[in-house]
Amino acid sequence: MSVTHLSASPRSRAHTASGISVRGVSHTYGARTAGGMLALDGIDLEIADGEFHCLLGPSGCGKSTLLYLIGGFIPVQAGVIATSAGPVTSPGPDRSIVFQNFALFPWKTVKDNVLYGLKKAGFNAAEREQRARHYIDMVHLTGFENAYPSQLSGGMQQRAAIARTLAVDPGILLMDEPFGALDAQTRRVMQEELRAIWRDSRKTVVFVTHDVQEAVFLADRISIMSARPGRIQHVIDVDLPKDRGEEILENREFIRLSEQIWRLVREQAVAATRGAH
Amino acid sequence: MMNMAQARPIAPNSPSQKQKLPAPRRGLHLSPHMVDVAVQVAVVAALAGIWEFGARFGALNPFLLPPLSVVLGRIWEDLIAGTVPVDLGLTLYRALLGFAIGAVIGIPAGILMARSNVVRWFLDPLVSIGFPMPKIAFLPIFILWFDIYDTSKIIMVAFSCFFPIVAATYAGCSSLDKWPIWSARSFGAGERELLWEVYLPMAMPQILTGLQVALPVGMITTIVTEMLMGGRGVGGAMIMAGRFADSVGVFAGIVQIIILGFVVVKSVEMIRRRILIWHPESRR
Repeated sequence: MSVTHLSASPRSRAHTASGISVRGVSHTYGARTAGGMLALDGIDLEIADGEFHCLLGPSGCGKSTLLYLIGGFIPVQAGVIATSAGPVTSPGPDRSIVFQNFALFPWKTVKDNVLYGLKKAGFNAAEREQRARHYIDMVHLTGFENAYPSQLSGGMQQRAAIARTLAVDPGILLMDEPFGALDAQTRRVMQEELRAIWRDSRKTVVFVTHDVQEAVFLADRISIMSARPGRIQHVIDVDLPKDRGEEILENREFIRLSEQIWRLVREQAVAATRGAH
Repeated sequence: MMNMAQARPIAPNSPSQKQKLPAPRRGLHLSPHMVDVAVQVAVVAALAGIWEFGARFGALNPFLLPPLSVVLGRIWEDLIAGTVPVDLGLTLYRALLGFAIGAVIGIPAGILMARSNVVRWFLDPLVSIGFPMPKIAFLPIFILWFDIYDTSKIIMVAFSCFFPIVAATYAGCSSLDKWPIWSARSFGAGERELLWEVYLPMAMPQILTGLQVALPVGMITTIVTEMLMGGRGVGGAMIMAGRFADSVGVFAGIVQIIILGFVVVKSVEMIRRRILIWHPESRR
């Protein structure tokens, strides 16, 4: 895996990092009908400029919903979500997202998928070419540039989607369990890669996961969400070195934090299972 | 994997997935696809043989069913005399032009129906009523409104092609997977860009299915209008032959229609494969 990065790449349209402010946000699915389902209940969350923030919680706790709200994909029903650019009302290139199910364009090749975002972001032809090559190489898809998504495995599609989003160098990076379809080995490498990109490029990252170790490895702060309706139960600071590699897994603080958080998440997961019956 | 199963349209009968197991190394080894084609050709050849020899050796009345060789001979004569190219050309021209008009109106109408409530409120009842209706019933009206020559025939064809195309496009565009749309929007695509860059390619399998249904409908309509209205064209020539009790001429028309239909439908299948090269259906 190449750990080189496009250093201070020439940018035509710079997306500066920005904090994210979520205040009093609630969300109900099917709100217009009688049997609406409350997915998020009174979320307050301040994510600092340049922070790596993980949303951690059991499945169905609304963490993806919160991410889609920040992304502007679903309208905010109650409360306010704002970045430095103002209140979020629609999706925009300042907040790029990696979806859990990749959301690649199936009619475009891997390379054309990556080029699409670059073109929209206003990079010139030479930059587009260079960045596409770099990020496809970074996710180990060199040789598959001309493959269509349907010809790739789930893990490869996910890596293509990650390359497509990272290539546009967004100020705010939203990631919805982006490593879910990867095998453990690739997953670890991608985590290190993402940490390195974040450290070098000063992005604000909101990363949704249900994997405690992943959250502790990646994040500066972790929000632990409750089972449905989603509330933020705890916000935990991760006091670990900025540079994190394989060795961090044996760090005493890492292990302690992981265990502590695991217990908190477990409570919520048990509650979620009970709620389901 | 991606949820594209919903987008899988009618598939040509082809052998299953990449089961290209190395064939046993004895005798001649054919791919499953080649075996498929060979068997199908053999079936058609056998039927042609039964027709030919059945008619020739008195099992059937040669007036009611002239031998195939005689029919082919007639086509050959008319080909040299120049009537077959004119009739076939006219029929093909009417069918394809009518089909193209139906597509040019039907595809945008289907897209608009999926994207605008006003258009849907207006068109949905019309399409629902018109789709199952036998469109040929409108022929007298079109003759009244237009002429008895090309215009009314082509409009008749366009009219009957419109319905399957608009219905398929509407269905394709109203059941689009939201994820590619969301990602295009997050990269900053506007509504107009979304239409060209996302909706159309994503709905393309269903749109092509609609076109594939409409094309034979257009051919049928062309032949029927030609039969009803007379004049040149394969349908007109057949009706003339029928009136003169020229059974060989009638069967010559039928054979021409079979060949024409086969060529046109196969060409569209090939075009579909080219356009949908990205789709899993193209890799069967």
